[in-house]
Amino acid sequence: MELKTFRGGIHPPYRKEATAKKATVEISLPAEVVIPMQQNVGAPNTPTVNVGDRVEAGQQIGSSEAFISAPVHSSVSGTVKAIEERRNFTGAMVQCVVITVDPNQPAKWTEKKDVGDLSPEQIRDIAKEAGLVGLGGAAFPTFVKLSPPKDKPIDIVVINACECEPFLTCDHRLMLERADDLLAGLKLMMKAVGAGKGVIGIEANKMDAADMLSSKLAGDSAVEVVVLEVKYPEGAEKMLIDAITGRRVPPGKLPSEVGVLVQNVQTAVALYEAAATGKPVIERVITVTGPAMKDPKNVLVRIGTPIEHVVEQSGGMTGDVVKVIIGGPMTGWAQKDLSAAVVKGTSGILALTKEVVDANAEQQCVGCDKCIDACPMFLVPNFIVRYARRGQWDLADKYGARDCFECGCCSYVCPARIPHVGYVRKAKAEIAAAQKK
Amino acid sequence: MANSEYLLSSPPHVKSKELTGSAMRDVAIALLPVIAVAIYFFRLYAIVNLVAGVAAAIVCEWVMRKVMGREPSIGDFSAIVTGLFVAILLPPSVPFWYVMIGTVIAVALVKELMGGLGTNVFNPALFGFVSLLIISQLFALGNMTLNLGSLNGVTSATPLTFIKAGALNGIRPGYWWLFLAHAGGAIAEVSVLAVLLGAAYLIYKGHVTWHIPAAIIGTVFILTAILGENPLYMTLAGGLMFGAFFMATDWVTSPDNRMAQIIYGVLIGVLIVVIRLYAAPTGAVAYSILIGNACTPLLNRLFVRKRFGAVKTVPVETD
Repeated sequence: MELKTFRGGIHPPYRKEATAKKATVEISLPAEVVIPMQQNVGAPNTPTVNVGDRVEAGQQIGSSEAFISAPVHSSVSGTVKAIEERRNFTGAMVQCVVITVDPNQPAKWTEKKDVGDLSPEQIRDIAKEAGLVGLGGAAFPTFVKLSPPKDKPIDIVVINACECEPFLTCDHRLMLERADDLLAGLKLMMKAVGAGKGVIGIEANKMDAADMLSSKLAGDSAVEVVVLEVKYPEGAEKMLIDAITGRRVPPGKLPSEVGVLVQNVQTAVALYEAAATGKPVIERVITVTGPAMKDPKNVLVRIGTPIEHVVEQSGGMTGDVVKVIIGGPMTGWAQKDLSAAVVKGTSGILALTKEVVDANAEQQCVGCDKCIDACPMFLVPNFIVRYARRGQWDLADKYGARDCFECGCCSYVCPARIPHVGYVRKAKAEIAAAQKK
Repeated sequence: MANSEYLLSSPPHVKSKELTGSAMRDVAIALLPVIAVAIYFFRLYAIVNLVAGVAAAIVCEWVMRKVMGREPSIGDFSAIVTGLFVAILLPPSVPFWYVMIGTVIAVALVKELMGGLGTNVFNPALFGFVSLLIISQLFALGNMTLNLGSLNGVTSATPLTFIKAGALNGIRPGYWWLFLAHAGGAIAEVSVLAVLLGAAYLIYKGHVTWHIPAAIIGTVFILTAILGENPLYMTLAGGLMFGAFFMATDWVTSPDNRMAQIIYGVLIGVLIVVIRLYAAPTGAVAYSILIGNACTPLLNRLFVRKRFGAVKTVPVETD
């Protein structure tokens, strides 16, 4: 049977075997956690605690008045040691609350209450209070997505269970280990936006999870599991909507434009958890893997845990590590050292060896057109690069710079090793600056 | 270990195995059937010319890059491919130094002086070949051929001249011989089958798509039929197949968008028919593709593909 998919894209080696069959383990707490005030798309938060304050796990420690924002909570019980700028995973300096972890952590959120009679309004409030953001990596505040404009009704909620980035398996494990919570979270989302239909879009390399979810859904006509072709970036929002529904989100528009809401697996699980137990986003599952990781696995970690601690507790790295990535290998961030902390959008920590990292130098474009065929947004990546190099930002825009969501397919296939994504980022910044004038 | 520095770069952090050099090497591999047929028919004549082309290309590229202060680029296989192309575009009976002159024009003038691989406007090998056609008419270059033994069939003219002579019946070679092997004209013209074998490899490897060759061959076939000539003969004879699959599809000098590629192919096809029927059959494919090359930047600007979501949007179903 022909599986549903989108046009364009690539088939990189997936390398998920190392962690896909191992149960998630919880690692020990670090001595201190570093919680950035900005972990979401939108406005940063202002600290609501002071140095020396005693804080409890789940206590709100940063908030914002802005609409597109998500509060942050202390992931541990402890004492505020400092409020200062620290380098985050992107290399930017951001304000962080540093908390010394108390050795005694009280057990909380153990009782689950029924979520069946929550109103759409209440579900949105829960998402906002819990500081829930897209946990697939985008980190867009969830309650904003759950509040679509009145003139754009949502009829389908899609759970993004593709996990199309190579190496990562945290969503896969979560589906296997917490299938009921995922389905309950999906139902809450459908209720919040008034959608009659729910779809779980899953790539064909996770058939164990797809079969399990299908069997749990037997007799439920409102929710459907749709198995998709294994192709990157199947899990990109616009590609996923196209593959499942045939609807194409117009350039510059949001999925609500075509009546669809897309949420990641882990976000749905976290929403249910927040609704049933009141637990905010203070921990998440991340994949710690790569050829230079000694004992690859999925781990449950508290937000704010320094990645050095995560790596050590996961078994450490081998001596031949040359590159450390936070996120997936296609869109993740290269790390200078292990000092950054886990945030809500952190999906993985990868340790790569020389064999995996390409060291070939950038060459002149030879017009092979492979980037054009790979681009899922039907842009002309080599032309964007050509005009970005010359500083002709209007022409870079003409060939689609602003529509690019930086999936990296073009750079992956490029035989001349051109770093398109870097040029696109520059072009986007310049185009935005020109428009402000 | 904690304070050690790791590699930094923008994503993606993994890449496909393919490099420009490996793709160019695939082009050289795709030429093997054509080369094998040439060696079978022309023996030393073919070998000497092919070696002369490759040697001249490598030396010329190295010298030019040295003079211009660029890193050597033999690893990208582009010089080797250009040298092979020039030898293949010429009949095996031409003296080896013809091949070398054509190759030097291709590599030095058309490629390196234009900025190197990727920035050239014209297909280097074709430009070198056409330059030779013109030079040999302007100057008496002499006929200092090496005596490499008897040369079977080389004296027979390219089958295309039969069209011009209006003698399409009787003496012209049959379709099957044109398709399998006919030792006349340039090395590129000998066997359509050998060209198609190489082309199939390039398409399988993903280096060439159907758009440009199909547009050229389709246009030549249809237009020839409309003009009352023999379309099958016109597509099988001469350098059309080689030009359509190996020359017009050159990455650097062909348009990038698929729609532009089809227009480019149609344009070249029309030019080929017009030049073959109303001007000179020799070099018609080469002239046409070079004119197509000149139109490439314009075609790239005129035909920009429609972006995702700009094509169609399905209206929201509300119940």
